[in-house]
Amino acid sequence: MKKFIYTILLAFLMAPNFVKAQENAGAVGPMSSFPVVYKYDEKVTWYFDLSGTTFAETEDLYLWIWSPSEPDAGNWENSSDFAKLKYEGNKIWSFTLTPTLYFSKTPDEIAASAGFWFRLKNKNGSKQSDVANMAYTDFSSFYTANEVIRSYPSKPLVDKPVSILFNANLKDGFAGVPSVHFHSGLNDWAVLQEYQAWIPEVSEKTKLKDLGNGFYRMDLIPQQYYNTEPGFVMQNITFLMVAKDWTTNSGDQIIYAGEFIPPPPPVFAFFPLQISQKDFLGMSRKNNEAGVNKLLYTITAGSKTISGEFSGGTAEIKGFVNLVSELNGLPNLSEIHVLVKDNKDKTISDTTIPLKTLDK
Amino acid sequence: MRCKSIYWLAFMLCFSAIGCDNTEDGSYVDPITIYEKVNGNWGLTNLKMVDEAAKANKIEPSEENLSIYFNYEDFKINFSVDEKNKPTSYQVTGNVPPLFAPKGYWELSSDFQPTNAGATKIYLYSDEQKTQKTDELRLISVPGKNEEMQLQLVRSSGGTPFVSYIFKLNAIN
Repeated sequence: MKKFIYTILLAFLMAPNFVKAQENAGAVGPMSSFPVVYKYDEKVTWYFDLSGTTFAETEDLYLWIWSPSEPDAGNWENSSDFAKLKYEGNKIWSFTLTPTLYFSKTPDEIAASAGFWFRLKNKNGSKQSDVANMAYTDFSSFYTANEVIRSYPSKPLVDKPVSILFNANLKDGFAGVPSVHFHSGLNDWAVLQEYQAWIPEVSEKTKLKDLGNGFYRMDLIPQQYYNTEPGFVMQNITFLMVAKDWTTNSGDQIIYAGEFIPPPPPVFAFFPLQISQKDFLGMSRKNNEAGVNKLLYTITAGSKTISGEFSGGTAEIKGFVNLVSELNGLPNLSEIHVLVKDNKDKTISDTTIPLKTLDK
Repeated sequence: MRCKSIYWLAFMLCFSAIGCDNTEDGSYVDPITIYEKVNGNWGLTNLKMVDEAAKANKIEPSEENLSIYFNYEDFKINFSVDEKNKPTSYQVTGNVPPLFAPKGYWELSSDFQPTNAGATKIYLYSDEQKTQKTDELRLISVPGKNEEMQLQLVRSSGGTPFVSYIFKLNAIN
């Protein structure tokens, strides 16, 4: 009994040492995949938004996954290269895999498993994310649904991936065709990507993926596929599914776009409303665009120039300039000029702030 | 069992009876001035910057917490008095921006807490004769048993406050 108690005590004493070695980087943010829907034996890219974590943009990150199987087992302290994530920019990392190959499991085995459970970590395991799960969308009901077209999501967005499924068995003339192509446009054919059968690149770009048994799938991100201008508002995707060399087609089809909810506009403000030479000057910018994470300021006060930067994220970038020390004792100042730029060299504010004269 | 507890109670009552034996008549002492409360060493627990113009016009934000900036966690101030409890010098330590003169001499606008609403002021001077006033601080919370004090530095122009700084301090030692 005594031995048992000592063992327990020892375990408790040791526990904090193990925990200390581990830095929690936070929860994995929104995840997505391309294609949106895929079979377990198809190649897919998973995307992880880690902007809410403490992982740095320069860090090499790795996938530590144990369900449906654990390909990198035993290498927590030295992740293998095959588990390495790719950095996509804006604190988004990706991982490309074919599930059946990566996990050495059949599609049925993966379907019967608990799903994709993982952590993201640095190479030596000193930093790790919370446990996360990559959701999988099962689209097999389409095979028996008697629907010509189904899209995932049902209402696509201009800047997000969409998968469009086609059941060619329900249309005449598609049996045995060499390939099927996506002849389409946005907003009632206002922006086009036609199936130009005589141009090999276009033929390839518009080609649907053959899922077998007369089922096909098109995967695209509208703003890339149609090369739309920033700010383009997508209302619908109009299209025909066309057999190679236009031998037959599906007839007109339409998918309506989801409502585009614009992000809240950025708000920049100084704090306080009025300052003197002996006060701190605060500045903040909320609702920053993706990728904007710094404010760089240049303040000109008489012959003196003060510059510096504040860091933050999309929610807010904020900081205070120590004018109290910087302008201490400078004579005859009545105003300062403040130029603020973001890390993409866009001018955020270019203004002159009058300095209040203090009562003695 | 019940009897026993009654004996115990009686026994304890005896204690409280003899406990109140001595009466303190007291001898004359000087009334306690604010100097006795303010003198000593104080460390910062919080520094708040208030946008008085925004506050007056109900614009948000009207306050920002500066405690984590510019080394203010190390801000300390000492107010000294002589053996007669008269104010002598003061000094700020901790490498912080000079919102007010970091050292000099001080005195209060009143030795005692005013009975009206107005706060006592701490006048700061650069000279020992106290003729060259540099700044003034409002004593908006006078130290009591909790050993906490709040000082407010107000920036005004044309008689109208537009910014103030509120220093929340704790007695050290």
